[in-house]
Amino acid sequence: MHRQSVVAWIAVAGCLCGAPAVAQVDIAGLWRPLPRNQDGSGLTGDMAGVPVSPEGRWRTQSWSPDNFDVAEWVCRPHAWDYSLEGPLSPIRFWPEIDQPTQKLIAYHGHINMMEQETSIWMDGRARPPANTPHTWSGFSTGEWEGDTLVVTTTHLKEAYIRRWGLMRSDRSVVRTRWRRIGSFLQATSILYDPVYLAEPYIRTTMMWVFDSAMPMNPYPCEEATETAVPRGSVPHFLPGRNPLPGLNPQVTDAFGTPYEPRLGGPETMYPEYIAKMKAFPRPKQVEAAGP
Amino acid sequence: MNRQTRSAAMWTCVLAGMALFTSAELVHTQTAQPAWMWSPPLTGPAPGEIQVLPVQGHVHVIVGAGANITVQAGPEGILMVDTGLGSMSDKVLAALKTISTRPLRYIVNTTEFEDHVGGNAPIADTGEIVPFREPNYTAGPQGALDITKASVISYYTLFHRLAGPTGKTPKIPELGWPDNTFSIPQKRLYFNDEPVVITHTPSNTDGNSIVLFRRSDVVSVGDLIDLTGYPMIDLAAGGSVNDMIESLNALIDVTVPAKNAAGGTMVVPGHGRIADHAEVVYYRDMITIIRDRVEDMIKKGMTLDQIRAARPTREWDRRYGRDTGPWTTAMFVEAVYQSLRQ
Repeated sequence: MHRQSVVAWIAVAGCLCGAPAVAQVDIAGLWRPLPRNQDGSGLTGDMAGVPVSPEGRWRTQSWSPDNFDVAEWVCRPHAWDYSLEGPLSPIRFWPEIDQPTQKLIAYHGHINMMEQETSIWMDGRARPPANTPHTWSGFSTGEWEGDTLVVTTTHLKEAYIRRWGLMRSDRSVVRTRWRRIGSFLQATSILYDPVYLAEPYIRTTMMWVFDSAMPMNPYPCEEATETAVPRGSVPHFLPGRNPLPGLNPQVTDAFGTPYEPRLGGPETMYPEYIAKMKAFPRPKQVEAAGP
Repeated sequence: MNRQTRSAAMWTCVLAGMALFTSAELVHTQTAQPAWMWSPPLTGPAPGEIQVLPVQGHVHVIVGAGANITVQAGPEGILMVDTGLGSMSDKVLAALKTISTRPLRYIVNTTEFEDHVGGNAPIADTGEIVPFREPNYTAGPQGALDITKASVISYYTLFHRLAGPTGKTPKIPELGWPDNTFSIPQKRLYFNDEPVVITHTPSNTDGNSIVLFRRSDVVSVGDLIDLTGYPMIDLAAGGSVNDMIESLNALIDVTVPAKNAAGGTMVVPGHGRIADHAEVVYYRDMITIIRDRVEDMIKKGMTLDQIRAARPTREWDRRYGRDTGPWTTAMFVEAVYQSLRQ
C-alpha cells in the first residue's frame, strides 16, 4: 500500500475512534407496553423483593386504602418512574432538535397515566439548584453509553413504589437505562433512596413494542369534590393495627408466600433467599389478590 | 431572669443555631448518605452566601440568609416577606438590587423567629413607605408613621413579642418593629397590580401569618412548612400542633394545583425548596399522623419518655429528624406532647 494511503486510513480510523459517543439508535416513537408483573404477588402490603429500610416498612404499615379518597390526592399521578413499571404506560417519545446544528437537545416523553411528561436533556445542561421545585417526573439528563441511553433523574417529589403506601422519598435519584432492540424498547431503572430503601432497587421488567398505530388517549383529572373523607382528615393506621392482608401473618397469597418475606428488605431481593423462604411456615388462609 | 425572658433567650439561641444549621451548602443535611447511595451533586448557596431564585409571576425567593425571604417586585416597589438573619442583611440588600431597583415599601413578618425578623431594622431602614394613614396621626396604638422606612406588617401578637414588655430588652431594635399590625383574620393590600392577602395562621406561634400573592399565584408560608426538618412549635409563644394542622389545611385550601396535584399555586416554605400543593399535603399528612399517634399514646397513659421511646415520628426521622442541634426530634415530640396536654 502506498505510504500516503496508509496515513490517510490511519487518520480516518483515528477520527472514527476519537469521535464522542453518539446515539446509535433513536427512541422516538409510540411504544406499547408489554404485559409485566406490576405489583409483586398482588397481595396488598407485600413488600417481598423490595429492599425497604425500616423506615420504608413503617411508612407502609401506617397506610390506609382510604388514602385514595382524600380529595387532595385524587389527582396524584403515578410518578414517571412508577409509571414505567405500573399499568397504563403507553409512551410517546419525540426529539427536540437544534435546527442549525441538527444536534439532539432533548427527548421529550409523554406517558398515558394522568398525562405525565418528562424531558431528557441531552445537551449537557447543568442541574437546577437544590431549592428549585421538585416534580413527579423530576429533572432528567441523558447520555449515551454505546447504544444505551442512560438517564439520571433528580428533583423528584415523594411518590409511591407500590400504590399501597410503599413510598420513595423526595431524596430519590433514579437512573434509567433505555435500550432499543429492533422494534422493542427496554428500560432498566435503578432507584436510590436514602430514606425508604436500604439498598438500590432495580427494576428490569419493563418492555415496550413499537406501534405506530397506538392510540394515546387523554387522561384528564379534576380534583374531587364528593368524597367520603372529610376535609382535613388523614386516613392512616396506628402502629400495629394495619389490617392489610400482606401485613397479616395469618393469610397468604395464591403462591403461599410466607409472612416473613412479605416484610421486604434487601435480603428478599436475592435468589439465595428462596431457600430461606422455604423454611418459613405457610399460612393456610389464602387471600384474594389486591388491586 | 424571669421565665418569659429565659424562654425568649433560649429561643433566640435555638433559632440562630437553626439558621446556621440550615444555611449549609447542600440541602440534604438530615442524615449521612449511606455508602450505596448515588446522586449527582445538587447545590444550594454556600455557607454565608445567598441565592436568588425566581418563583413565578412577580415573585422571587432569596435562599441562604436564614429563613427563606420572599420578594414581590413591580412598578410600585418591593414587598418582602421576612428579612432573614441580621448578619446577612448586607447580602440581602445586594440581592434585592438584582431583582428590582424600585424602593422597598413593605416587609411582612410571618413569624417572630430570629431567622425571619433579624434583618428587619437594617433592611426596613433602607425603604420608604407611601403613607397609608395620616403620618402625624398619633392616637392609634402605633403612634406616628415614619415614612422614611419600609412599613413592617405583622399579626399584633408578633409585634408584642418583638417589642417585649415595657422596661425589658426588645428582641430586635425598635426600627424593625412592626408598625402596621392587624388583629383580624386577614390584612389585604393591592400592590404591584396584584392582591396581597395576609392571613393569620396560628401554628409555630400564635402570631404566624401566610402571604398569598394572588395574581402571581404564590403563597409564602414561613415556618408553617419547613422542608428541612420538623416544625418548631414554640409553646411559650402560643404555638400548638392542632393550630398548625388547621393552618396547614387552610393552606391546602388556597393552593390549587395546575394539573395532577402539582404546579399551579407555588409555595415558599420557611426553609427548603420551592414547593407546591403536593408538598403541603405530604407535610400536613405527616404532622397529622404524628399528632394522632401521640394523642393515642397519651390516652393510653404513656409518659413522655415512653412516647419518645415508641418513636411516633419513626418513618420520617431519616428525612426530617435530627438527634443533635438546636431543634431535635425529641424536642419536637415533646412539643407535640405538651401541646396536646394543654
